[in-house]
Formats: sequence, structure tokens, C-alpha cells
Amino acid sequence: MQKLLQLNFLSLFAFIILCFTGHQALAQGVVSGTVTDADSDETLIGVNILIDELDLGMPTDAEGQFQFSNVPVGEYQLEARYIGFNTVQRSVTVADGEETVVNLEMTMSNAELDELVVTSFGLEQERKSLGYSVQEIDSENLTVGNQSNVVSALGGKVSGVQVTNTGGSPGSSSRIIIRGINSLDPGADNQPLFVVDGVPIDNSTIESTGTPRGLSNRAADINPNDIESVNVLKGAAATALYGVRAANGAIIITTKSGEAGDTQINISSTVGFDNINKFPEFQEVYGQGWYFGQIEDDFWPNWGPKYEDTDQEYHDIWRDGTQTGVQYDNSINVSGGNELTTYYASVANLQQEGVLPYGNWDRTSVRLSGDISPKENFSVRSSINYINSGGDRVPADRFMETMMYWAPNEDVTNFEKEDGTQRGYYNDGSSGNNPLYGNKYMTYKDNVNRLIGNVTFDYSPAEWFNVLYTLGTDFYSDQRTEITPGPRGVEGENVLSSTGYINETRINSRDINSTLNLTFQKEVTEKVNTRLRVGNDIFDRDFNNIVSSGDDFVTPLFYHLSNVRNISLNQEIRQRRLVGVYGDLLLDYDNFLFVNVTGRNDWSSTLPEDNRSFFYPSVSVGFSFSDVMDLPEYFTFGKLRASLSQVGKDAPVYSTTDTYNTPSQYPLGGSVGFTRSNTRGSADLKPEQTTSVELGTDLRFFDNRLGLDFTWYQSNSRDQIFAVPISQATGYTQTITNAGEIENKGIEIQLTGRPVQVQDFAWDVTVNYSRNKSTVVEVAEGIEQILVGSSFGYVGSGAAIQLTQGDPYGNIYGRSYERYYPDNEEPENPTHLDEDAPLLIGDDGFPVTNTDQLVLGNTQPDWVGSINNSLSYKNLNLSFLIDAKWGQDVYSQYDNFFTAFGITKNTLDREDTRVFEGVTDDGQPNTQEVWLGQGVGPDGVDYGNGYHRNVKREATEEFIFDASYIKLRNIRLAYSLPQNFTSDIGFRNITLSATATNIILYTPFEGFDPESRAGGAGSNADGFTALDYPGVSSFFFSVNLSL
Amino acid sequence: MKNFLKLSLIVSFSSFLFLAGCEDYLSVNDDPNNPTEAPALGLVTNVTYESAQNTYRMGSITSYYVQYLGSPNTGSTTDNQEASSYGTQWFRLYDTLTDLSDLEILAEEEGATQLVGIAKVLKAYNLATLVDAWGDAPYSEAFFGEELNPAYDDQENLYTEVFTLLDDGIQQLQMESTISAGTEDFLYGGNSAQWIQFANMLQARYLNHYSKQDSYSPQDILSAVDNGFASNDDDAQVSYFEDQVNPWASIAISNANLILGGWISEQTVEHLDGTTYGVEDPRIEFLMDTTGTGEYIGVENGAGRGDAQLDGYSFLTTETFYAGRTSPVLLATYTEQKFIEAEAALNATQPVRAYQAYLDGIEAHMDKLGVDEADKNAYLTDPAVAVGEAGLNIDLIMKEKYIAMFLNPEAWVDARRHDYSYENMDIPVNLNPDLGGEFIRRWVYPDSEEQRNVNTPDVSLLDSIFWDQ
Repeated sequence: MQKLLQLNFLSLFAFIILCFTGHQALAQGVVSGTVTDADSDETLIGVNILIDELDLGMPTDAEGQFQFSNVPVGEYQLEARYIGFNTVQRSVTVADGEETVVNLEMTMSNAELDELVVTSFGLEQERKSLGYSVQEIDSENLTVGNQSNVVSALGGKVSGVQVTNTGGSPGSSSRIIIRGINSLDPGADNQPLFVVDGVPIDNSTIESTGTPRGLSNRAADINPNDIESVNVLKGAAATALYGVRAANGAIIITTKSGEAGDTQINISSTVGFDNINKFPEFQEVYGQGWYFGQIEDDFWPNWGPKYEDTDQEYHDIWRDGTQTGVQYDNSINVSGGNELTTYYASVANLQQEGVLPYGNWDRTSVRLSGDISPKENFSVRSSINYINSGGDRVPADRFMETMMYWAPNEDVTNFEKEDGTQRGYYNDGSSGNNPLYGNKYMTYKDNVNRLIGNVTFDYSPAEWFNVLYTLGTDFYSDQRTEITPGPRGVEGENVLSSTGYINETRINSRDINSTLNLTFQKEVTEKVNTRLRVGNDIFDRDFNNIVSSGDDFVTPLFYHLSNVRNISLNQEIRQRRLVGVYGDLLLDYDNFLFVNVTGRNDWSSTLPEDNRSFFYPSVSVGFSFSDVMDLPEYFTFGKLRASLSQVGKDAPVYSTTDTYNTPSQYPLGGSVGFTRSNTRGSADLKPEQTTSVELGTDLRFFDNRLGLDFTWYQSNSRDQIFAVPISQATGYTQTITNAGEIENKGIEIQLTGRPVQVQDFAWDVTVNYSRNKSTVVEVAEGIEQILVGSSFGYVGSGAAIQLTQGDPYGNIYGRSYERYYPDNEEPENPTHLDEDAPLLIGDDGFPVTNTDQLVLGNTQPDWVGSINNSLSYKNLNLSFLIDAKWGQDVYSQYDNFFTAFGITKNTLDREDTRVFEGVTDDGQPNTQEVWLGQGVGPDGVDYGNGYHRNVKREATEEFIFDASYIKLRNIRLAYSLPQNFTSDIGFRNITLSATATNIILYTPFEGFDPESRAGGAGSNADGFTALDYPGVSSFFFSVNLSL
Repeated sequence: MKNFLKLSLIVSFSSFLFLAGCEDYLSVNDDPNNPTEAPALGLVTNVTYESAQNTYRMGSITSYYVQYLGSPNTGSTTDNQEASSYGTQWFRLYDTLTDLSDLEILAEEEGATQLVGIAKVLKAYNLATLVDAWGDAPYSEAFFGEELNPAYDDQENLYTEVFTLLDDGIQQLQMESTISAGTEDFLYGGNSAQWIQFANMLQARYLNHYSKQDSYSPQDILSAVDNGFASNDDDAQVSYFEDQVNPWASIAISNANLILGGWISEQTVEHLDGTTYGVEDPRIEFLMDTTGTGEYIGVENGAGRGDAQLDGYSFLTTETFYAGRTSPVLLATYTEQKFIEAEAALNATQPVRAYQAYLDGIEAHMDKLGVDEADKNAYLTDPAVAVGEAGLNIDLIMKEKYIAMFLNPEAWVDARRHDYSYENMDIPVNLNPDLGGEFIRRWVYPDSEEQRNVNTPDVSLLDSIFWDQ
């Protein structure tokens, strides 16, 4: 079996044959005509008119007219294709020397009704028959914003889907969550399964250890220009057949393929410019020093005297130290074929430089796919995609931290001495780290080589029987080299590290998927149709990660593992296998009532042998009531959907037994120590269960000019497998167990419309709106809270995301200011910050810090929404997407640092006197005036290090912000050159476009881009900025040529 | 056509056959990264290393209570003796006790009596360290995950267990062993005789903790001392490695890189520089570095450094004895034993033995540090030190022991037994107000334990450990 699985993909090239055909012409005539909209009688522009037999094709002009001259005499099928309209075919007879006029009327299609949508395993099903919601993004909509990462390209385009860009770093990861978080386990993967052409691919993000470097999520390897469509399967009913691996939903990607006919060549070239889209407001008044005094050679960058009172001047280090990032994206694809064989081939290269200097990311993708149908009822499809990606990943967090410490009286860009050593900002350059020097020399390169390939055999021995077998692999190696130099050996140098170190990481991951589907179709009676599908699915993953770490370089400037004093090695092997069988029965009564029943049984290697097998069913109903009811004329179509489904989930690998491990410090002196693992495995684990209910409706009005899709869902995930923290006296810190429940409830609304369609002008609009509420119903017996993650803040003012029984998912905890309550009165909700209660003001006249951990905010948005518009006038198209995410809170470590170091404008009050609004402990309003500066104030009182350092920076509350935003996600203006001009110079089409992305329209957040988050796409601690890579807005200019 | 049908049948059949053989195919869940059993000697390495680490981890907090160190910042929870959650210390002690429990069982199965003995002695050491900070603690229901909310054992009973472990350990170490440790044993390289001395020394130490109790027996202590360490060579210590430097050295290196720590308290500086006792102690230069201006200046506990320059104080550097890169962490020393002997002998009214032990203790410590003979003799003959048999009292012994125990958590036990009555030792300027002007007597249970174990007792920082009552 293994042998069979390990098919050599290279041999698949043999299936793909490139085929060019030419044509000879003798006697000729002309075919011409006008295309109009049957409803409005208006002419239609840009309709594709094809004569397939001759491989001829042209769009209608501004008058809706077309003309083919020199058509060889004969009988042909003329075809008119237009998006949103039903395709029209007409036979024409061309006679020698004559003009045949064919006027065509087109009717708007119920396209989305008859439309086939891609569901599990890439199998197509009529949208009308679905009992659950599926949303599709086509290629044009996907690539409109020039996003290089397919995940970020989905942002704002699908209801119920939340996309978070972790920052503006080249190649950085983007996180996608469908219908909320389903796991209590802080380390769980809550992102959907990614499937390309029926084969699941890896979308994990393996973040760097140590300072975060913003590594890519692996789906970023996919070239978005190769994608034909993306279908988002949201609920458990939609993913029922995928089982375990799609418990968080699935992203089904279908790539472009060739079509029989002319060879088509598309060339696309884009240049883009990134700039930080939002800066905090920096103060330019006070310079280096402490207690308003200038102390020569002191660390403190901004607590000194006013610049105007010294001979020093302010530098805008934040803008000086960052740059405009430039990217180039070039691709070419060639496709075509004949009736027997089609093919698609593409080569694409992306090169991107970041806004933080010395960071970059490149991606080269080569893709080849083809389809051979040697017999009417048999075809073989295959595709192979080779990707090389990676770049120099700058230590953004460290860069920003050293930026905080840098005194703005020194030029931050003058960072390197002639001898190559670092120039700091004090002690004549010998002290203080420079952010740019760090970026330049503390390097981290990743280099991913990846091969994604599949082969599919599609065979229909009879009309009622089809066999489909797909074998796919996703294999990658990820080589990473991290180097931080030690001293160069120069007297008195300012070193980055006193020893220097090198880490070599080698990750190898190999996935194999095998899927067999047998489909039987039978018309039981005239009105009853059935379809039964049974299948088998095998998933096999081998993962191996070896890290060699060396530190303390012997010879300066020679960075090699052989040149270090200490070496340590670490290896992680993971193996996971999953076998599933499933059945799917579809009953169709008279094409208006559809019932789908599915069942799947999985056998997972990660569960204990006795509980390894588990079964889960689903049932869904689609009722298209407009087919059986008399509805008003304007009511085009109406459907109700309902589904009830279950899905199981297995355990993380190696959760069933106790082990011993070797702590990282060993070997020491030639001896290796062992310690019992802190995690207690469980041999009694059983699979997790998620039960979902989904109700929805799909309504269309005015001949589909207006559509409304509404979905309500609820899903409950029970018996979650996660490590519950236990008393360390047990000999463990956590025990893996089945416990807890999390509930997600929400609605999704999708509104589509074409409000205006007149001659030459059309306006399409799509509105998406969704809200989801995640509640932690139960944690585990005896456990009240689970820590998802925490973020540092000075003097205990950090924040933690904790899950508490009964509370919403994503509560942020931290320190606050004490509130005043009159005698014996208790706050209504003692675990939450009561912002309405007055501040308690201490004897010193300042608010009092409450060190108890209270809920200060929540990381989950109240709602997300978007409006996508496309306006076409003749050859011009303007499209723009506005999206909003509302009500999510964030802990800004940036602001904690800004306060501690007096960096932003809100520290300019440092010479003010203030009476803090609040109440003293006797219940009386506070009247005490205090000074906010450092040292002895005008009132003669010694205020020590001052309000900002002694009071404000100690309260987490001060650094929790509403990070709501409204963004112009993208706006694109495209112009297609007139057809007669392009055909004269031999092109089918030339389009020029300009695009801008990620422009903040509104946010109450005062820092950098409110969307940027620390921790990478894999992290569930999604409410921290840390000191992460700032967000960028981009401007692109593109040329697309079609031959 | 027929071939295709055949092919599809083969594929589907093989898939179903596959399911039949699925059990084997799916049996890949044995962790390939970590073994399910550990070698006994591998456990020995870890427990000896971690026992030293635990000594440091405790000392990294207690050294502020006894004012060896002072925080460069105001509002320091250690200087001010706040009710902090010392979760790391708690966890690491339990982690080590867990490995020791596994070692004990494994070594017994293998007839490795020496390793059983080592396990018992170190179990006693870590358990006593735990009790000295927290009092009652889970023990009889701990370590094997059988009870998720393990009960708390009474602290006096735990001390009884400490002595049982030491007695049993000595017995085991005297037997023939199937396996003996070598370099895996970071403390004694598998020298059973020294392990037995160490066990006796610990017996003396923990018996001495009863000094406030009726059951205090100086005679028992003196007989344990007789079987204890014979010289500095017997000290229970773990020397560190170039690739894993001494944890105090890490503090010193971080401090040099402006992550501040390891600053010497004013109390300790004045103890040594003649301010408090009128005699300059030559050991000062082995314990700390001078300031930028070549002086010894300590930070006042609780006051922070104010607006002084960063090199305006003395701190640990890698040039000092205790914070050198490969310096040892000391678990128990001959020097300490000499002061225990002095105290016990004094209480047993054996002034001659007491005075000799007092002088020997100072000399042993100076030898350990490498103080040169002339300086040593000058100090030993200074009238403030050479007080004679009649002049010796407990304050003097504790004063000398204080310096000899630099950075060791046992100093906090001494401070509590001695009621912090060292010359000039004042409460820190911003003392935790909950202490009402008193010094801290114990720790509160860490947050993690309070959240996870329903049996966690409610205690205050002023609830003394049983031997302190």
C-alpha cells in the first residue's frame, strides 16, 4: 500500500501533452450581430462571442455589436457568454461572400441557482440542493486587492469568516477563523482545512522560537493567480464528509485549468509600494534624560529637558528608521488544449521588501496541470505545483523595542561604525542598541521548497455509476538559519550578543492523501432522484524537525556550526494517520425538496486503541419553496435550508502515554539528565464531539437583481481534548483529558444586488454581515480558568487572555485602578472592571492600582461586515471593498512602553498639575492637586519617577483599547484597452489597473494599524499587539496582457 | 474498458483490505521523541542538578529577605516582602521530588541501593526546603498523579519524614549496589561515603531547626556532626559548566547587559566593610564588585537606586566567588556544619568546642573563598572576632554564619530562628503593610496551587513554620 501511495509524481508529466492546432480556410463569409438584454432591450457590452469550432472569439463592442470576418464557409455553433446571463447558443450557416446577421437576446441567469458549487473532496453539487450555506469567491474577486497571501485575500469577502493579518511584514502569516473558536485548548488549531483540487494541504504556521519573526502560514505558498475559485464551507454539515480534519470548516480551492480551444497566454506584471498605514502620535518636545535633566550618557531616551532648552534636536526616528517597501509580482500562464487533452501551466515570481529595512520575502511558483480523456467515460487529471518561498525575516518585536529605547536626539540611521560595529545612542555610541543594526545583523532566513501534486482518475462505467480516485501529496522542506553575531573583536565595541549564536532548523513535512469515491445515481420514479456516494479517505503525515543550536563563536564573523563552543540538538518527530469511510445519500423530490444524509466513521492514530473508531452523522434539507408556491412576480426564488450535524475530532499526537524527556540544558559534562514529562497522558481519551444546527434561507428578487442569504447557526463542542492544569504536587503540571464545552452562536447575512444597470454602466454590490458569540460553557471539573496567552507589561501591568466558565471566549485580564464603593457595597460583577464606578484616589492624590486580575475587555469582535462594490462603465471598472470589524479589544504593549519611556504625545502633560477625578476613601470627591512630572513639583512635593512611570504604566486598564476599524480593504480602477486597438497589435486583451489596499477609514485606536496582532496566525492569543510589525497600506500598478 | 473496471475494483478492494489491516497502520502513537522509561542514572543527573538549581531558585528570593541583596527598584516585591506567588520555586521543588520518587522506585527494582540512598537523601533535602518556606504541603498523596487534589500533610510529620529518609538513605548507601553512579552524580561522582556524610550533615542541620522547640537536642546534633563533613572537600555542591553557567552568573551577566539584578544590600556591605562591626572583612572582595568609583556601596532594601548612576552600587559579577561562570552552587558546606556545631555546643554548654567550631567555621569559609593567609589571620585575631570562649555568644555565631551562608536559602531559616536580630538589620523602607512592621515568616501558597488544589490552606505571611513558633 505504501508503495502505491508513494507514486512518483514526476511520471505524471507523461499524461500532460501540450497540443496546438491550426486551421485552414478556403471560401469565407462574415458573421455579425448585436447582443441585447432580453428584459431591458439594452445592448450588452463585452459579451464574449465564440465560434468554438474555429477557436474564434471576440467581445461585443460599446454598441453591443460583433463581427467575424473571413469565416470559412460552413455550419457552426455561435455562443454568447456573459457573466450574470444565461449562455446562448445559435447555429449559423456561413455562405461564401455573404454576411450572416445573428442578433442575440440574452436573459439574466438564475446562475447561482443552477450553478454547481464545489463541496467536500472537490465534488460538485447543485447549489439549489444544498441544505447548508456555502460561499464562493471567484478568481477576479480573490485577486482584486493584489494580496500575495490567499488567506488575506479572503478578508472581508465571506460572511462568518474572520481574517486577521498579523502585520505588514513580507510573507507574514494571516489567520482565518470560521464561525468562532471551537477549542478550549490554548494550543489548538482553530483554522479551517485547506483543500486544493480535492487534496488537503498544510496551512500551519511554524513561528520562530525566541523573538518572533513573522513566519508564513503555509497556504501563503499558493499563488493566488492560479486560483479559479475558493469555496468556503462553514458549518459541520458542509464539512461532514471531511470529518475530523475539517471540524473548523474548510477552504476549498479550485485551480485554473485549460479549456479546449485556442492557446491562451496571460501575462501579468505588478509593482507595489507598501507604507506604514498609521503611526502613533509621537512627542517632539522632551529629549533624552531623567527628571527633566539632561544626563550625559544616560539610558533614558525621553524624560529629559525640552529640546528647545538644549542644543539637541529631535529626529523623527520612527519614520527615518522605516522605509517604503517595494514588491514586484510577475506571472505568466499558458493554457489550452483540445477535446482530448487540456493543460494549464504557470510561472510566477513575487519579490517583496518590507517597510522595516532588511526584511524581504520571495515566492516562485511553477504549476502544471492537465486533463486527458482517452475515452468518453474516463479521464485522468493531474497537477503539480513546485514552490520556493522564503526570505529574510527581521526581528520586528526587537526592532520596535530598541526603537523605544533610542533617544530621538541621535540619528537612528547612523548605526554602523566604520569597523562594522554597532553605534549606540549614548556613551559615545558604545551603549544602547540600534534597531537597524539589529535588523541588519540578527538575521533569520527561511527557505521553503515545496511540492504539491495530485492525480485523479475519473471513470464512469455506466451512466449511473462513477468512480473517482485521487491521490495527492504535499511535501515541503523548510530550512531556516538564524544568526546573531558575537563580538567582532574590536576594543570597546557595542555588541548585539556577548557570545553570538547560530540556529539551523530543518523541517520536513510530508502529507499523503488518498480518496476514493463511488457515486451511484438512480431515478427511482419520475419525481424522485437519488444519489449515493460512498468513499474512503486516508491521511498520512510525517513531520520531522531538527534544530541544531550553536552558541559562542570562536572566530568572529565566521558563522558556521563548526565555529561555536557549544552545540545542542533537538529533534521533534510527529506521525499522524487517519482512515475514514463515509456515505452520503441525496434524495431529490421533484427538484424542489432535497434531503442529504451523511455518515462518516474515522479511525485515528492519535486516540487510544479502544476509542480510535468513531462515527458521526449529519442530515440536511433544502426546500426551494418558490417552485411549489405562487409568489409575486418580483419574488424570483426562495429556499429554506436546515441541517443538523455532528463532527468528531481526535487528539494531538502522543497524548495517550507518559514519557520522560531530556531538558534542553543537557548534555552537561558528558551526562544527560532525564525528567518525567509534566504532561500526564491519558489512555482513556475519546474523540471530541461538535454538534451543529444551521437554519438558513436564500431569497432572490427582481430576476436575481437582489439576493438575500441569511443563516443562523449554533454549534456546541463537548468533551474537548486538552491539557487541564493540575496541582504540581501531583508530579505533573497538566493532565490531558476530555472536558469542557464551548458554544458558538451566530448569524450571517449576505446581500447581493445590481442596483443599477443601464447602457454602458453596471453597479454590483455585495454586503456581508456576521456576528458570532463564543461562550465558554464549561471548563473542567475543579478548573475555573484556562490561560490562552499573556503579554508583558511593566510592573505587573501585563495582560492575559483567560477562558472562564460562563464567560465569553477571549476575555482580557489585567490590573486596573481601584474603584470606590460606599460602605459594604460590592461591585455588581466582582470579576469585571466596573468602569462606571468612581476611581478611588489615594492619600497621595493619585488613582490606586488594583492588583487583582479583572476582566478589562474581550478580544472577539461584536460583528464583522463588508461592502463590496463593482462599477463598470464601458472599459472602465472601479471596484472597492470596505470592511469593518467592530467591538474587539486589544492590549497594547506599545502604549505600555510609550508611557514608560515618555514617547507619545499623551505624555506631554508631564509638567501639568491635575486633580484626578474620583473619590477618596471617605467617599468625598477628590480635590487634591498633584503634579505629573518627575522629582520635586512646584508644590514642593517629591513625585519621584512621576505619574507616568509610577501610576499610569502600572495599570493594564490604561492599555486596553477598542481596536474596531473600518477599512478601505481595497480599491481598484481598471481600464481595458479598446478591443480594436488590442487586436491590431495581436492581443486579446490588455488591462491596466491601479489598486490601493488596507487604508484605514476609521478607528478609535491610537497606535499603529489596529489589525496587527502578535503571535502569528497559529496563536489563539489574538488580543495582543506586543511590539509587532506595523500594518501597511499598499499601492499597486498592474498590467495584464492576454494573448 | 474492462481494465478500468478491474482497476477500480482493485483500488476499492485494496482500500477495504487496508481497513482490515488498519490497526497496525494506525499504531503510530508511541512518542518517538521521548522514551516511556528513563535510565536511573539519567534521573540521578537531573535530580543532582535540579537540587542545586532549587537551592539557587530559593536563594534568589530569600536573599532579599535577609538583605544579602537589594533591589535597584522601589516597589520590589522581594525587598518589600510581599505575598507573592512563588510558583516556579514550588513547581521545581515538586518536579525534583517527583523525579526523586521515580528514581527511588526504579533503583529499588534494579537493586541499585546506592541510587536509592541518593534519592532518599535528596528527597529529604528538597522536602525540608519546601517545608521551610511553606509549612504544610502535599506529600503522601503527591507525585504519581493518582489524586488530582492531593491532601496537605502536616509540616511536623513532614519533618519526621525528612529524618526517616535520611536514616533510610544512610542505610541504603552502606549496602552493596548493583549500579553505582559516576560522573552522572553532579554532587559526589558516586562517592557513597561522602553521600553518607552529607546525610549526617543534613540531619544536624534539620535537628538544629528545632532550636526554639522543647524537643531541641544539641547532643543529637553534635553526634550527627561527628559523622558529617570532615573538610571543605566534602561540601555538597554542583559546579557549573561553560555551556550552562552558574545561575548567579546569569544574573550578573544580565545585569551587565542592563537587565538589572544581583545588587548587594547595604546591610551586607556594612556588615563586611567595618561599618557595623568595626572590622573589615577580607571576604568582601570575593562576594561583590566595587562601584565605578572603587567603593563598596550597597542599595538600601526597599529604597531602590533613586536617580543614581547604574554603576553607583556594588553587585555580583562573574569575577566574584558565588557568581563566577563555573562557580558551584552550595547545598550544604563544612563551614555551615561548623557553625551548627558551634551553636549546638554552645547550647550544650560545651564552650570550648563551640569556640573552636566558630573559628573553624570562619577559617573554612575563608579557605573556600581563597582568602590569603595573612588576611585570614588578621581577621581571625581581630578582637572583634577572637572573643575567646567566654566571649562567644549566639549573636556572634549567627553574625559569622550570616556571611558564610551568603545567597543560600538556609540563611532565611537562620534569620527566622534568630528573629532577624542581626546588628542594624532594619525592615525595608517600603515594607509590605500587611506585615505590620514585622519581617516575613513564610510564603503563601502559589496562585497555581490555590487555583488547582481545593485542599490548599489559607495562610498569612506571619504564620510561622512550626520550628519558628
